[in-house]
Amino acid sequence: MEELDGEPTVTLIPGVNSKKNQMYFDWGPGEMLVCETSFNKKEKSEMVPSCPFIYIIRKDVDVYSQILRKLFNESHGIFLGLQRIDEELTGKSRKSQLVRVSKNYRSVIRACMEEMHQVAIAAKDPANGRQFSSQVSILSAMELIWNLCEILFIEVAPAGPLLLHLLDWVRLHVCEVDSLSADVLGSENPSKHDSFWNLVTILVLQGRLDEARQMLSKEADASPASAGICRIMGDLMRTMPILSPGNTQTLTELELKWQHWHEECERYLQDSTFATSPHLESLLKIMLGDEAALLEQKELLSNWYHFLVTRLLYSNPTVKPIDLHYYAQSSLDLFLGGESSPEPLDNILLAAFEFDIHQVIKECSIALSNWWFVAHLTDLLDHCKLLQSHNLYFGSNMREFLLLEYASGLFAHPSLWQLGVDYFDYCPELGRVSLELHIERIPLNTEQKALKVLRICEQRQMTEQVRSICKILAMKAVRNNRLGSALSWSIRAKDAAFATLVSDRFLRDYCERGCFSDLDLIDNLGPAMMLSDRLTFLGKYREFHRMYGEKRFADAASLLLSLMTSRIAPRSFWMTLLTDALPLLEQKQVIFSAEQTYELMRCLEDLTSRRPVHGESDTEQLQDDDIETTKVEMLRLSLARNLARAIIREGSLEGS
Amino acid sequence: MVSVINTVDTSHEDMIASRAVLPLQHDAQMDYYGTRLATCSSDRSVKIFDVRNGGQILIADLRGHEGPVWQVAWAHPMYGNILASCSYDRKVIIWREENGTWEKSHEHAGHDSSVNSVCWAPHDYGLILACGSSDGAISLLTYTGEGQWEVKKINNAHTIGCNAVSWAPAVVPGSLIDHPSGQKPNYIKRFASGGCDNLIKLWKEEEDGQWKEEQKLEAHSDWVRDVAWAPSIGLPTSTIASCSQDGRVFIWTCDDASSNTWSPKLLHKFNDVVWHVSWSITANILAVSGGDNKVTLWKESVDGQWVCISDVNKGQGSVSASVTEGQQNEQ
Repeated sequence: MEELDGEPTVTLIPGVNSKKNQMYFDWGPGEMLVCETSFNKKEKSEMVPSCPFIYIIRKDVDVYSQILRKLFNESHGIFLGLQRIDEELTGKSRKSQLVRVSKNYRSVIRACMEEMHQVAIAAKDPANGRQFSSQVSILSAMELIWNLCEILFIEVAPAGPLLLHLLDWVRLHVCEVDSLSADVLGSENPSKHDSFWNLVTILVLQGRLDEARQMLSKEADASPASAGICRIMGDLMRTMPILSPGNTQTLTELELKWQHWHEECERYLQDSTFATSPHLESLLKIMLGDEAALLEQKELLSNWYHFLVTRLLYSNPTVKPIDLHYYAQSSLDLFLGGESSPEPLDNILLAAFEFDIHQVIKECSIALSNWWFVAHLTDLLDHCKLLQSHNLYFGSNMREFLLLEYASGLFAHPSLWQLGVDYFDYCPELGRVSLELHIERIPLNTEQKALKVLRICEQRQMTEQVRSICKILAMKAVRNNRLGSALSWSIRAKDAAFATLVSDRFLRDYCERGCFSDLDLIDNLGPAMMLSDRLTFLGKYREFHRMYGEKRFADAASLLLSLMTSRIAPRSFWMTLLTDALPLLEQKQVIFSAEQTYELMRCLEDLTSRRPVHGESDTEQLQDDDIETTKVEMLRLSLARNLARAIIREGSLEGS
Repeated sequence: MVSVINTVDTSHEDMIASRAVLPLQHDAQMDYYGTRLATCSSDRSVKIFDVRNGGQILIADLRGHEGPVWQVAWAHPMYGNILASCSYDRKVIIWREENGTWEKSHEHAGHDSSVNSVCWAPHDYGLILACGSSDGAISLLTYTGEGQWEVKKINNAHTIGCNAVSWAPAVVPGSLIDHPSGQKPNYIKRFASGGCDNLIKLWKEEEDGQWKEEQKLEAHSDWVRDVAWAPSIGLPTSTIASCSQDGRVFIWTCDDASSNTWSPKLLHKFNDVVWHVSWSITANILAVSGGDNKVTLWKESVDGQWVCISDVNKGQGSVSASVTEGQQNEQ
């Protein structure tokens, strides 16, 4: 058995700890239920459970969060857009499209974060507030990781621009600067503010040298004594060579210039130019990339990756991507200083700096409670052609595996399942069969929902599922006595047996009540009538009634006869049909020809000679027999009379 | 991460103020859609709950068995709301919901000893129920219409007794063409059974309608307690999970191409009897319930090894269910 990197998580079910009883479980479509039981099958099971509850447990509760639902919905749209990106696109245009997709995902995460943050603040119950706040930090971490992956894997920034991107990344995620800035600048005497030097320092740490210079000029104005050194510092800040977009200089040129500037800073340090101002001296050391000086600012840096980027900015601004991991590891070590150990987030970021995509995905999968993040990120990275196929049993590659997991989770939700359908569509190996298995389990509580599900199945030619769902709905309709509905469902399911069953019910109803229900449906059966003999009979029988109503007696008569002679009519119904013939026989004009009358008589004799024995009591049988005999006698009489008239008419001149 | 989201209290009747002491539940099963729950217990009753939207409403309390009820099984919804139950009283009862009420629809009393397991066949075969009993026989009930059930019995399927039955998923041999209505495609019906003879047997229906033992799977050293045939995900392999009194769980696979060679792989050896194994709907997770008071979840990893991904443990302590706005609003 393979060893997992961590121990499997243990979930405790609340209940009294009992050494005697075991836990039973069963799978539901989206969840699992467990209950206390005893598997020992004794006859007298006197044991009373210490925990009389049955628990339903579910793996993915995030699906039920209202705010996260937006995340799922919007990212679904982005996902679809990504799948449809023209495969022909290559090179720069493709890359820019992919970067755009990545930014879209990130903005969705941020929007979600913002909303959840608002809810956290507004929460009345502090426990809830804390819960939401922790959700916010999780989302924030997700965005942090995604952003870094975008820079390293999708943007694939080369040396030079790489640092600029990383600076942006850090500035985006360490946001206290702005509030601090507002505080300080808003005060009467900014340079005398308590946090003034903190602000200047953090601006320098984030490479925002223009702003830092502005701050320094305020200090210069306020205390003329230090104006001189402030000016010198300001100049140093202004002249630091950086790569800016649109800059035409090569990397080597930049390096040279930067080296030059660095040496100038060294000289100032050696000359103790800033000795009179410890603050400025410390800033100078920072700008020289002095590790000790940087580490003194741990609190302002607040995390190791900020430390990393600042360090790179002031010691190796043209760092190459492949050298990143060395700096990353040492930055982490230096920053933590052996006092604490790395958190999961730290490991994920490290893995990213090492360009170990698989490790990033693996660690994220373990750390996060929901497949959303890894599924979408992996899919995007796959589109960047960055993943080699690991051959997995479920899903031929990691991308598909994660998408399948995510989509399956969506199916547990009463409305989000519709999103899941699209995800399955884009899993070429096991998507279809997974969809087939899941879609059958969606409860069809309303007609609307059923139709929606059917449409999805029909669009994908999932005929088995269509048939099965129609059968279920037909059965439901029959149980609720909605025969018309049942009939149309069984026609849609092409289920002859069921159609026969429902038709029988219709006919039975007619016999009992003397009229049809759902006439519209039966009248407009069309070719569907052919589905089953019984159904055909039902349709034709109704047609007979219509013809009779329209006084098309001749047509009605031949139809009636053909129903019996062609044996479409079930034997049990013949008596009814013959009884229906009575009014036609009793009409003033002769409707049935002699030939037809002979046929009718033959049918009647056929019927009466082979009467099945009823299993009723003697008295009832006698009564029934009485009624039957009367009917038969009446029929015989009518038939005989009609025969006589028909013969006479046919014997005479036509048309008289 | 697994969270508890709902609990169904089987001890409370709606109107009773004090807690009713309820005997042990032996089995519980969700219906096809996860909206209803059937439970059965040693008090001879079968109870059905509606568990939609996190609620729990007792819909029916079915009495009819004369001994502890061991197992319940829901039939496919296309046949209506049908539930089968089997019991120590040697009977199998089929319950049906008609016009909103649950009633006994059929009783099968063809066994000489406790009936331990019932399992409905894939709906494509029709309405067929397999029952395994301590008298060593397996009976197959087929619904033929109008309240009639046809019975086929396999005597001495397992010496001493049969503990579990599980059907193979329906697979149409040959090409999957749309069959015209009324003409059933030729399914090869198969199921697996586990017994007190430490064996797992695979049964196949012959053309003449008789059931024949197709295979014997030997690996356990004590009574086989449960077998579960994995749902089909379109791959050519078939998979069966089995668990036994000997504490072992095996995963059996058969490459349908070469057919009839089943190879076992030991999932894990537990320290106690393993009672129940079950596959998730898409067969990617196997849940195992054992004597060590835990339900463990297993998944197959990249290189074909089975890895335990979660432990669901019963014990003291609170579960932190994550708060959702929905729950919040309900408060």
